[in-house]
Amino acid sequence: MQPPSPPADDRSEMPHEVQTAGGLRPGVSAEVARRTGVPEAHVYGTSSFFHLLADPDTKVRVCTGLSCQLAGSHELLAQAQASGLPAKGCSCLAACDAPPAVLRDRRVLTEVTPADVEAAAGDWRRLVAAHAPDEASERRWRGHVGPERSEEQPLAMDLLAEPDFTGAAFAQAGAWGVERLVEELKASGLQGRGGAGFPAHIKWNAVSNEAETTRYVVLNADEGEPGTFKDREVLLRRPDLVVEGLAIAAQAIGAQDIYLYLRGEFELPWRTIEAAIATFQGNGHGTDLRFHLHAGHGAYICGEETALLEALEGKRGMPRLKPPFPTQVGLWGKPTLIHNVETIACVPAIVRHGGAWFRDLGRTEPGTKLYCISGHVVRPGTYELPLGVTLDELVAAAGGYVGELKAFSPGGASSGFLPAEQRDLPLDYGNLAKAGSMLGSAGLVVLNQDANLRDAALEQLRFFSAESCGQCAPCRIGTRFLEEAVERRKRQGVGPEALDQVAEIAWQMNEGSICGLGQAAPLPLTSALQYFPEDFAEDAAR
Amino acid sequence: MTQTTPESTGTAPAPQGTLFLDGEAHAFQPGETILEVARRAGKTIPTLCHDPRLEPAGACRTCLVEIEGMRRLMPSCAMPATEGARVTLESARIDRHRKSLLGLYLTDHPEAETVAARRRPNLLLDMAERYEAPTDWPKMAPLRASRSGDTNPYIDFDAAACILCARCTRYCDEVESVSAISLAERAAQTTIATADSRSLLDTTCEMCGGCIDTCPTGAMAEKRPITLGAKHEQELTKVRTTCNFCGVGCQLDLNIDPEADAGRGRIVKVTSPPVGTTTNDGNLCVKGRFAYEFVHHNERLTEPLVRDEQGQLVPATWEEALARIAEGFGRVKERHGADSLAFVSSSRCTVEENYLVQKIARASMGTNNVHQCAAT
Ligand SMILES: Cc1cc2nc3c(=O)[nH]c(=O)nc-3n(C[C@H](O)[C@H](O)[C@H](O)COP(=O)(O)O)c2cc1C
Ligand code: SF4
Ligand code: SF4
Ligand code: SF4
Ligand code: FES
Ligand code: FES
Repeated sequence: MQPPSPPADDRSEMPHEVQTAGGLRPGVSAEVARRTGVPEAHVYGTSSFFHLLADPDTKVRVCTGLSCQLAGSHELLAQAQASGLPAKGCSCLAACDAPPAVLRDRRVLTEVTPADVEAAAGDWRRLVAAHAPDEASERRWRGHVGPERSEEQPLAMDLLAEPDFTGAAFAQAGAWGVERLVEELKASGLQGRGGAGFPAHIKWNAVSNEAETTRYVVLNADEGEPGTFKDREVLLRRPDLVVEGLAIAAQAIGAQDIYLYLRGEFELPWRTIEAAIATFQGNGHGTDLRFHLHAGHGAYICGEETALLEALEGKRGMPRLKPPFPTQVGLWGKPTLIHNVETIACVPAIVRHGGAWFRDLGRTEPGTKLYCISGHVVRPGTYELPLGVTLDELVAAAGGYVGELKAFSPGGASSGFLPAEQRDLPLDYGNLAKAGSMLGSAGLVVLNQDANLRDAALEQLRFFSAESCGQCAPCRIGTRFLEEAVERRKRQGVGPEALDQVAEIAWQMNEGSICGLGQAAPLPLTSALQYFPEDFAEDAAR
Repeated sequence: MTQTTPESTGTAPAPQGTLFLDGEAHAFQPGETILEVARRAGKTIPTLCHDPRLEPAGACRTCLVEIEGMRRLMPSCAMPATEGARVTLESARIDRHRKSLLGLYLTDHPEAETVAARRRPNLLLDMAERYEAPTDWPKMAPLRASRSGDTNPYIDFDAAACILCARCTRYCDEVESVSAISLAERAAQTTIATADSRSLLDTTCEMCGGCIDTCPTGAMAEKRPITLGAKHEQELTKVRTTCNFCGVGCQLDLNIDPEADAGRGRIVKVTSPPVGTTTNDGNLCVKGRFAYEFVHHNERLTEPLVRDEQGQLVPATWEEALARIAEGFGRVKERHGADSLAFVSSSRCTVEENYLVQKIARASMGTNNVHQCAAT
């Protein structure tokens, strides 16, 4: 007989119980331990890992991510605190296209103004007034997307199209069977859109060939890489593609259970995807599949696939050692296919039109890609363009630059910064890697002549040091060390020797860290030092 | 990971494999890690978060090695030995890694003098010295929360000295199955905590002290030696003995300050012998580890006593005392019969001692009324 899976001591509901109990207040661990059978210390240790559980009294969180910072979020936070709001700063809220973003309880509010804060008059409940009702705030959270699909430019996802619940791709994939499907995926050249760009067909094939027959599909909707908000847009506008893509994946690899892990702040996307699942199955498609929605509780690292699996299992979101990979030993130890929202959303089109069609959509690499752009551009938003466009083409779609391009971050905080001279690089996985950066999640942030790269790097370092899971020393200590080194240089009048250890510690973090967070964390600083040393001089502008 | 021996299972020996450590071929048993093979071969690999009793965490990053075909350095404590693997244990890259990693640890660790106050060995500082880690990088004030209000009498946690190897929490989970402590918070605030930061006394903690034993830095330490201002463990004399609280026979080391009590010596603490050397494998329970004060108690009997004519207890020789016992038992038996006697031995007796007690009962007294207090 197969061991029960989820196992008898399944604790995946535990964090939710803590949330329902009002967060981690004294006595809550004991109460939840009694209800769930999870040892009390583990309830406490796990809940204290997640900001939204650990600190239930902070009702207002102002995003201090780079794009929001450019839109004045530090000032907004100071104003909120001065007005008596229970407010703190927080990491990117995946709303960089409508900054500054503010989290009120678990609802993301966008383009919050000093007038909004003033109107709240110190009462956090009133901060939502300007944004209610729900429907309005959902519409409001939908950003700019484009371009329109055309004869010359077909699109794989087409965010402007109406949702399609006919289940045609699901039926087609069922008729094909897994071998043909993997073949088409291979022909399509689809690379994982979560950041690593790993060929999708290899993972599908690996899971299908495992001896263990209990398998899972997991959707990574923890979108947290600063500057990235494309998954939010897909979930809000085309949840049909996600549900159908997941159903195709589960059917192909022989999984019954599909777990969707949405970041805790995705309250509205949660509703759209929940409704889409109901519609899809209501139409009679994939009715034997079980969709399980899980909310994150405020931890960027849970976007890393193995940390996500730990969090899904109700544990602290600390990445696992790899190998073994999730395709071999995944959720509850079973082979698991885990994909980013966008990767999954590409699958229906590949089934409908074939792998070759998808491959031809790209320019330097296969497919179209959702590029997020924010910072100093006219119309921040999500643009589906051929993989390999240049920055100038992307910014043209976003209405042009605001000011003069100085630097850009091509793929989230983890990709560091590139100078304006590199604007002609094709924005794809291979070319950016060659340039010592990465496409990552394709969350681009544009900085103009007013930006200081020391300060921009400092913001990214703060992000990494706050979001490190704390498991391994190179990252836990290194991120903080680099942050403090820059602080010493900037504020404490220490000379260039403040940065003497940066190169060695960056090397150590890259070599010694367990996961991609620590490995990539030094890049914003080392790239800023490489391309903009003058921004680190004593007299550089703040 | 332990291997069952062929003798114990009666099956054919598992096929051996061969891997290469710095070019030398070494045989391994399936299930062994690279670290285990290397240590068996007498190689030195530094480790901090490794404890053979626990599942590997791969978190401290001190044991990283190069494996041919893998781009990244890999934790030897967690990587299974695989057929034909070519492993590099010493290289310029590994040396640089150790130096910079340990140097980074030091920026987040108290100075040696402060750490010495823990009165426990500190593997991190020893290792940093051995591998010549940089010592001049700027220090940072630790952000880890301690549990200063914890009034439990035995265990002291100093978060500043903690390197978050999670040996204590894994020990508490995996060996004790108690889960009284957990990693808590995250990033630089990550620490070892009880639920709601309560005293260990108000948790499921059994005060086994295993978390102290496994801690590589002395962040978890015995509380009494610290509050009493005792000497550092390195200055104490270890005397191996067998715990007499129960019949398991755990080996323990009395750590004695030979100069204390006017040269008579005093037990400062009890530690367990190193893992893998004795049957208890480094484990002890609350009694073996912490209940040693009776040794120096002023009411403790240190010689036989018998009652004189006035009924007062007075010192006597063993011969006198035993003769008195035999006489008393004999009288009772004569008057009321052998079955009026019963013998109960202490759970602190060994198997051999228990055997002797039933021998006295059956052979010399002629009764089967014999029991052992742990037998219920
Ligand atoms: C620190 C870190 C954060 C990550 N965050 C995300 C994320 O928010 N969303 C995501 O899909 N992938 C994220 N990833 C990548 C995942 O680990 C994983 O590669 C991805 O989910 C695989 O799906 P894909 O093949 O469809 O890209 C992150 C990786 C790292 C190292
Ligand atoms: S690199 Fe950072 S985030 Fe990743 S496991 Fe290590 S401490 Fe955690
Ligand atoms: S003394 Fe034993 S039971 Fe208590 S916390 Fe330490 S390991 Fe756990
Ligand atoms: S207290 Fe000791 S054993 Fe526990 S994590 Fe800290 S250093 Fe490791
Ligand atoms: S939402 Fe603020 S930077 Fe992303
Ligand atoms: S001993 Fe291997 S990583 Fe710590």
